[in-house]
Amino acid sequence: MKKLILMVVVLSGAMFAGSGVGVKPVSNQLYINECGSCHFAFQPGLLPQRSWTKMMGDLANHFGTDASLNKADTATLLAYMTLNASDKSMNYKRSQRMTNSINTSNTPLKISEVPYFKSKHRELSRAMITQKEVGSITNCVACHSNASKGDYHGTYVPNYGRVDD
Amino acid sequence: MKKILLGMVAFSIIASAAPFNAEVQTYVDGLKTETKKSNSGFVDFDIARGEQIFTSTHIGKKGTKIACTTCHTANLTANGKNDHTGKVIDPLAPSANSARLTNVKDLKKWLRRNFNDVYNREGSAQEKGDVLYYINSKSKGN
Repeated sequence: MKKLILMVVVLSGAMFAGSGVGVKPVSNQLYINECGSCHFAFQPGLLPQRSWTKMMGDLANHFGTDASLNKADTATLLAYMTLNASDKSMNYKRSQRMTNSINTSNTPLKISEVPYFKSKHRELSRAMITQKEVGSITNCVACHSNASKGDYHGTYVPNYGRVDD
Repeated sequence: MKKILLGMVAFSIIASAAPFNAEVQTYVDGLKTETKKSNSGFVDFDIARGEQIFTSTHIGKKGTKIACTTCHTANLTANGKNDHTGKVIDPLAPSANSARLTNVKDLKKWLRRNFNDVYNREGSAQEKGDVLYYINSKSKGN
């Protein structure tokens, strides 16, 4: 019986390690509402604190659009984002790898420009990304159906099929 | 009698934009007061002017041509699509999406952002009011 329990524990441990939650899922409703109204609500664990601080300092010029919020909401969101930034979430595999791949003298604002991200997406063709089912490299859920759960395993590119990661 | 009743119902559906809730009406009244300060002949906001603001093309914040309809489409009872990210935008017309034009905080946020994105400047009080009247006027089929 003891052996059986041990086996179950080991097995479930292995399953957990193999499950794809590599980034802490978003747990803040204001973040989901505000950031998620225009684009996928990228987990804060995909960029380091310094990136979020810089980004939230100029929301009026957010990748060419005005995404400004009132001061209170900006501050609330920044606090959540920095608390859960990649360099504060090193117990999550992908946060750790994102963090470690960025030169400490760089402050990337685009998740898609982080070296670890780029290396994981290097084999994608332009056509895979520009096709209407995807449209943009920022459309995580187009290929990672469980992206909103922080799970970026199980990549399936529409019209192209499985891509092993 | 039945026909008259039916006619009345149909007419009221076509003709009447639903009234704003109290919170939004207070905001709209504030826009009116502000507009009167710079335009003494001002009477009320105007759906046709709002349509012109909403459908005309301008050089936007990005330096390229853009209109409100670029993302929201010309059919405000249908879904739109964010031109930058591809994310679907729920319909703007309250007749198709009852959450629209109900929250002043949201209204202020989007009017500020979207005038900047499309016109590369803030909207005036009159322009904001005209656009709100236009959006509120859109019911299914018109």
